[in-house]
Amino acid sequence: MTTSVTSRTGGTAPVRSGAARSVLCLVGALVLLVLALFASVMFGNMSNSFGDVLDVLSGDGDSYLTTVVESRYPRTVLGVLAGVCLAVSGTLMQGVTRNPLADPGLLGINAGAAASIVAATAFLGASGQSETMGWALPGALLSGVFVHLLGSAGSSTSLVRLVLAGAVLTAVLTAFVQAVTLSRPQVFDSYRYWVVGAFGGRDFSAFWPVLPFAVVGLLVALVLAPSLNSLALGDESATSLGTNPAVIRGTGLLTATVLSAAATAAVGPIAFVGLAVPHIVRAVGGVDFRMQVLLAALTGPSLLLFADVIGRILLRPQELMVGVVTAFVGAPALLLAVRRMKGGA
Amino acid sequence: MEKGKPVTIDAGTHTGGAPAVQGLSAREVTLSYGAAPVVKGVSLEVPHGGLTVIVGPNGCGKSTLLKSFARVLKPVSGHIALHGRDVRALRGRDFARQVALLPQSPIAPEGITVQGLVRRGRHPHHTLLRQWSPDDDRAIALALERAGMTELAEAQAGDLSGGQRQRAWIAMVLAQDTEVILLDEPTTFLDISHQYDLLELCAELNRDGRTIVAVLHDLNQAARFASHLVVMNHGEVVAEGAPHDVLTAELVAEVFQLDCDIVPDPRTATPMVIPHERVRAGKTG
Amino acid sequence: MSTDLRKAAPAPADSPRPPRGYLRVGNRIALPVQRSSVVVVLCALAALLVAAVLTLTLGRLGIRLTDLPSAVFGGAEGKDAFVLNRLRGPRLVTGIATGAAFGLSGTLFQTVTRNPLGSPDIIGLSTGAGAGAAAFALLLPGVPVWIGAVLGAVGAMALVYVSTGTGFRNPGRLVVAGIGVAAISTAVIQYVVYVVERDAATSLTAYLNGSLAARSWSDATTIWVVLLATAPLCALVSRHLAVGEMGDEISASLGSDPGRTRTAAVVLSIVLAAGAVTVAGPIAFVALIAPQVARRITRGAGPRLLLSALTGALLLVLADLAAQQLPLFDDLPVGIYTMAVGGLYLGYLLTREWRRGSL
Repeated sequence: MTTSVTSRTGGTAPVRSGAARSVLCLVGALVLLVLALFASVMFGNMSNSFGDVLDVLSGDGDSYLTTVVESRYPRTVLGVLAGVCLAVSGTLMQGVTRNPLADPGLLGINAGAAASIVAATAFLGASGQSETMGWALPGALLSGVFVHLLGSAGSSTSLVRLVLAGAVLTAVLTAFVQAVTLSRPQVFDSYRYWVVGAFGGRDFSAFWPVLPFAVVGLLVALVLAPSLNSLALGDESATSLGTNPAVIRGTGLLTATVLSAAATAAVGPIAFVGLAVPHIVRAVGGVDFRMQVLLAALTGPSLLLFADVIGRILLRPQELMVGVVTAFVGAPALLLAVRRMKGGA
Repeated sequence: MEKGKPVTIDAGTHTGGAPAVQGLSAREVTLSYGAAPVVKGVSLEVPHGGLTVIVGPNGCGKSTLLKSFARVLKPVSGHIALHGRDVRALRGRDFARQVALLPQSPIAPEGITVQGLVRRGRHPHHTLLRQWSPDDDRAIALALERAGMTELAEAQAGDLSGGQRQRAWIAMVLAQDTEVILLDEPTTFLDISHQYDLLELCAELNRDGRTIVAVLHDLNQAARFASHLVVMNHGEVVAEGAPHDVLTAELVAEVFQLDCDIVPDPRTATPMVIPHERVRAGKTG
Repeated sequence: MSTDLRKAAPAPADSPRPPRGYLRVGNRIALPVQRSSVVVVLCALAALLVAAVLTLTLGRLGIRLTDLPSAVFGGAEGKDAFVLNRLRGPRLVTGIATGAAFGLSGTLFQTVTRNPLGSPDIIGLSTGAGAGAAAFALLLPGVPVWIGAVLGAVGAMALVYVSTGTGFRNPGRLVVAGIGVAAISTAVIQYVVYVVERDAATSLTAYLNGSLAARSWSDATTIWVVLLATAPLCALVSRHLAVGEMGDEISASLGSDPGRTRTAAVVLSIVLAAGAVTVAGPIAFVALIAPQVARRITRGAGPRLLLSALTGALLLVLADLAAQQLPLFDDLPVGIYTMAVGGLYLGYLLTREWRRGSL
């Protein structure tokens, strides 16, 4: 819950002017992403050299090598998708709420996806990984919509209401998930493999159903970015600048929800990417939301892919799930940030 | 049965040692919230039994100094003394029976009545097992009466208007029954008639023997009510004394960057600031 | 000085009496006791008694109501002795004290943070305990789980304490640091649950939900000792908490040290919650909901420690009654019931506040 936390707006950093800087940032982020992509197909239980990967990509690799490298395509693609969704979702959340601690995970989406998977496995006889994972998306979307309906029951949408509505939904659904999983061991199995948040063992079947939501979400985020710039000045200034704060906020939060639901459905709940990337992006790229959305879309995947690579290398031949890695990298960063917080009673 | 203790818990019990300085004083006090000092080595004696008003431009450290007098803020260096004794050496409760503070934005707990709020002012007179003292009811009733809140005693603090709420807080501070009362910008957010009501109340309390120290924004109000005026700028005391000695056109020009005439107030003959027209909006106060 | 006081109200010859609403014993003791809260507290006690009787008498194994007094006071025999001394008695006694500890813990925390959603769960205590339990289950399978839970809770709180940089004094930082520590803890739990065998994972998850099943008299002793040892300290801190509600400056100028009050209250809150987690696991929502219910029953300001403790006990005993008697699922951990009911209650509160437009 972040309701009692003092918010520090994203608009406090000095505006860095100059198109050159922006281009530099984007190019840097792009280079980083390419490196992350290469790393993701290179490393694993069996690591290849850079040359091997180039051979495979140009079609010259031997068949074994090709199989190894290509087996890492799905997780890489999923990583990119989830990274884009989570990072842009977090940027929208923080921009809309002006709260640097807003995280899409607070909206009850994870619990909704989990409950959906558990219900499908227990009562509809879903089995096999791709089939059960397919149920995550409707569950996540449904819970997101529900939270918005509950959270905006009155006139306007406020973060406090949404977070509380998310907490309510999470509690009730988690109770349901726990009750079912504790009394049905086989359901428990599919649940615990999903809930940890991992790229391993997933195939493209997790990718295609989620892709349209991610694309639409990203486009809406880019369209909203200029309005978010006026919103950062406060509701009254935003109104006088010709934007409708309520509409922008509603659309922004809904888009954030959809993006976050897409990521959760694809790879399971992953903490801290949605929280951390917007901070990094603000520190590097400044306060312009158009820039922030673009940079987030490039940085999020890099972060997630590198985390995944670390998880693959660290405990070889076993794997540390990416959700665990991001938590262990992200949480200490948050703890360090706490020390620099001002006031905050 | 216990014999009723005397109602006053005041200076009488502290004069035994015949200390050098009566009342509150600061010696070489430096205060800061972070790295940069807000108040720099200020020495100040608050005239005991007087009505002292501290004025100065925004950020000059006047509220900060007041907080250190209230023992809320600990000096980085230097001492705050009460009757010649370092306030840090006093127990919090003993100090609180002698000095009360009304901060700028106190928080009224949810669901509290005016009387409940005022009763909390009696905290320093209580102990863990004795959360009521024989003087409580008289002190509370009197505090409510002085603040003009007797009729509203049962009202919810949350339902009060701005002026009423400020009077409720004054009543709480009065119930504390201290010889010194510190007020941090008590007139902010009040409309003009309530501002004067409140200042008249302060003057009345002062006439009854209480020492009042207030931070105010309005120079004319300060000059009208103060018996001792303290002017601060950039964390230092730049002038102090009787208002008609302190408040000069030169001082206002230097401290507030405002050119003005000083004329006697037609009703009270205290100095009054009449600003000149500004040719251009170049300077700000 | 203060001559006005003397002038207006000449001291009466005989000693004045405290107003209504105070309990006075001799000259040294006078405590505020409001008649309305006495009634409410008695009602809560009665409800708790009814819930306790139901816990012991309902169901196939229940002691017959007519046999209950003699079983409790005269010593039970046969099946009744087993139910009273082994099956339900210790569970009930543990449940009462655990609920009370959670209720107290939540009230202290909510008052200090001025956040109606504050509870030790929020600063990562429960998830820390869970992570400790999980880590022990994975690395040292022979050691009792509760040891891991205690170490985990202590470790999490130490991490929070260190990372805020100001100890437990600043509620804002406390909550943010709690989010971070909770995230790490959750990652640990999920990793362990993922890695270990299914059976081990199931039993671990059951523990992590918080359960009162199969508690012994030694569990009951543990939590009662914690509760009774902290109770006087809670009473001590409560007076300063009431003043602290008005902001740091007022409370400092009234002679109470706000920083020390906060630290004391948070430490007490943590000790109580840690004790409760030790015997029953991280049961959700009792610490959060009990103070809310207590606040809605009585009006007026100030922390209501006694009533919150009773409400917490009542909530937990009722939830455990449901866990034992509802035929829905077979003896699920009580934490699942408190989570479901607590979540629904929170939802009810929210919609009601929204309709009133006060949120």
